[in-house]
Amino acid sequence: MTAVGSSMSGARAADLLERELPAAVRRRESAAGEVTLWVDRTDLVAVCTLLRDHPNAAYMTPLFVTAVDWPDREPAEPRFDVVYMVRSLQYNDVCRLIVQVTEDDPIVPSLELVFAGMDWHERECFDLLGIHFTGHHDLKRILLPTDWDGHPLRKDYASFGEPIAFTHNLEWALPAAERPRDMPGGSR
Amino acid sequence: MGLNNELIVPRAGGRSILLADADAGTIALPRAGAAERTALQSGFVTTTIGKVIQWGRYSSLWPALFGLACCAIEMMATGASRYDMSRFGCEVFRASPRQSDLMIVAGRVSQKMAPVLRHIYDQMPEPKWVISMGACASSGGMFNNYAIVQGVDKVVPVDVYIPGCPPRPEGLLDAVMKLQKKIAGELPGSLLG
Amino acid sequence: MTALPPLGSPTADLDPLSEQYDAARERLGIEPGLDAIDLVEIGDSTMELNMGPMHPSTHGVLRLVLNLDGEVVRECRPDIGYLHTGFEKDFERHTYQQCIPYTDRMDYLSPLFNNLGFSLAVERLLGIEVPLRGQYLRVIMCELCRLASHLLWYGTGALDLGATTAFVYAWRDREKLLDINELVSGVRMHTSFIRVGGLLADVPDPFYEMVGAVIKTFPKLIDEHELLITKNPIWRQRTIGLGTLTPEDAMAYGATGPVLRGSGVPYDLRKAQPYSSYEHFDFDVPIGRNGDVYDRYLVRMQEMRESLKIITQAFENLPDGPVNTTDRRVALPPRNELNTSMESLIHHFKLVTEGMRVPVGQVYQAVESPRGELGFYLVSDGTNRPYRCKVRAPSFSNLSALPHMVRGELIADVVAVIGSIDIVLGDVDR
Repeated sequence: MTAVGSSMSGARAADLLERELPAAVRRRESAAGEVTLWVDRTDLVAVCTLLRDHPNAAYMTPLFVTAVDWPDREPAEPRFDVVYMVRSLQYNDVCRLIVQVTEDDPIVPSLELVFAGMDWHERECFDLLGIHFTGHHDLKRILLPTDWDGHPLRKDYASFGEPIAFTHNLEWALPAAERPRDMPGGSR
Repeated sequence: MGLNNELIVPRAGGRSILLADADAGTIALPRAGAAERTALQSGFVTTTIGKVIQWGRYSSLWPALFGLACCAIEMMATGASRYDMSRFGCEVFRASPRQSDLMIVAGRVSQKMAPVLRHIYDQMPEPKWVISMGACASSGGMFNNYAIVQGVDKVVPVDVYIPGCPPRPEGLLDAVMKLQKKIAGELPGSLLG
Repeated sequence: MTALPPLGSPTADLDPLSEQYDAARERLGIEPGLDAIDLVEIGDSTMELNMGPMHPSTHGVLRLVLNLDGEVVRECRPDIGYLHTGFEKDFERHTYQQCIPYTDRMDYLSPLFNNLGFSLAVERLLGIEVPLRGQYLRVIMCELCRLASHLLWYGTGALDLGATTAFVYAWRDREKLLDINELVSGVRMHTSFIRVGGLLADVPDPFYEMVGAVIKTFPKLIDEHELLITKNPIWRQRTIGLGTLTPEDAMAYGATGPVLRGSGVPYDLRKAQPYSSYEHFDFDVPIGRNGDVYDRYLVRMQEMRESLKIITQAFENLPDGPVNTTDRRVALPPRNELNTSMESLIHHFKLVTEGMRVPVGQVYQAVESPRGELGFYLVSDGTNRPYRCKVRAPSFSNLSALPHMVRGELIADVVAVIGSIDIVLGDVDR
């Protein structure tokens, strides 16, 4: 089953960055046929602009920006992996960039001016995960009501609509803070 | 017309008599003769005002378009040609709640949508009924989480619940028929015959 | 609310009889001297109109706040989130196979593509491959789903512009496809037919007859649909030149699918990055020229025909064999083993109750859904539940191009443009 071409997906972007902006690439990993690059948030705009504008790259289509929450990683590694993916239609490739930010400082520069489509994706990332994008013209919630409290996709946000207690799982009826952590179906 | 509210019953043999409802307070004509047939041909029926009004209400329920998610597609399929909901009077899906009397909540109601739902319900004139279509509208369905209201009856009063995810169009038709029975008064309270 | 730049109408301070007035109206795109009614100033020169979330033409619970100058849209601000269901949070709380019914309900008009994308992502992390028969059946069911989705788009899009007959025709034909869904899975819409490791089950015998009937009758039916609309002068006047999106803008907004291809960009994931044996089939990818509503309409109508081509090829060359992988990490042990082998019994029990364990890693798998690139970014931490599953929804990005497309159009045309993007709010809001 071919999901990508014969080469690793993202290799073109990775090679280009290692040639043109080697200081920006902090880490590079290849797995499952895909290359992932870790960049610093200070280099993010430059990296994306290069990927978009360089004639050998042409990564012009923003796919999404999201974050993965690893609350148990701190203080060894930052909590959030802010993940960007962009696609190059011309060279038929996708590129994945990860920017790591900590819990106390979840701030990343906005890519709204680089890709017009990042506007809404950044608002969604802020809404659901609490990552702040500086330079965004209007970073407000997009999917949840504007007066919502908290960021639901964070791992410490307990998401239960309604406790349904059967005889074998009476702990579901307990408030979120008191539920045991190893419940089937997750206590979070 | 069915539903036991017979106003006119054609008898075998082609002669018809006017049947009065026992508690309607009208006079039962003893025998169909020429005089009665003439009266019938000139278009007289007798019944109670209440029954006629109820008949009018349930036979022409106008649903307010409240399709939210997947159940809306099955609601549209019910209105399309195979399951034709207009047979039951629900031909006209009014976009404006002020011109409708039935709200079929078809789909999951998110927390952001709930105040809008209530607002639309309040804008509907009396008498109005609500059908909660599907598992998500009835109880939150498979989405027991932060984003979905666990049952639209937390927001508006519901007359008929339809299970299913999504319910088949026949399910929606059955719900409309049950609602019609309820409106006709044959189903006291929550007893479903 | 955003502080918008002051939008004064160019005609606000001009005498209606002066030639500057006519010039300004020309700039706004209004033919000078056409209306017989004097324009009445309503205080401010622009008006904010709220469209939705309950609106017959927004294809779901979409709210648009339109800044209008008369009937001309100066600014359009979509307000989404009225169908936000928290799917991505639910993915983190369920095992991989339990997630499949959730994926059905995201893009609820083309549920099989969601199933497929998720299953392919998990299968890539697991490193397993579905047998060829399973892949071909996936292709057949997915292309039937694409047909159903495009038919629904056609019916509702035409209904929005007043063509009620098209709605009834489209639904009549859609019912035939839903009958096939019901045959293979028991459910008309959310079949959950495509699962990790293969399919729900092999298809029963009437499947061949029903798909054969579809292949035989649908080309003529699609011609019938086109006959109603394509050369209809009302349709053409209402859609040609409307909602134009240049290829650069389409790419900048992240638009994919028929919205992108209508603008002339020849990119289709089934050809560019084939998955599930799409490379075995010979089909064309229709692209438009001008990027307007009419071109997107033509692209989708032609895509329906191409889907039929794919279904025909897959159906005629359907191989025999199993439909599900035999990899024991995913597949349940065969029934006869359960009687004799204790390990099989335990394995069966664990697979059903706990679910499969997926190795640590991250993967991005995209499929070409009727709306565009539907992608699943899956992060696994080695347990039996996804750690994070981000869904890249095509309608979300396509809709973000809407304000750009309707700026300067009339308010009645907003409806046509929304129809041409073919959004599903379940996809937009997840």
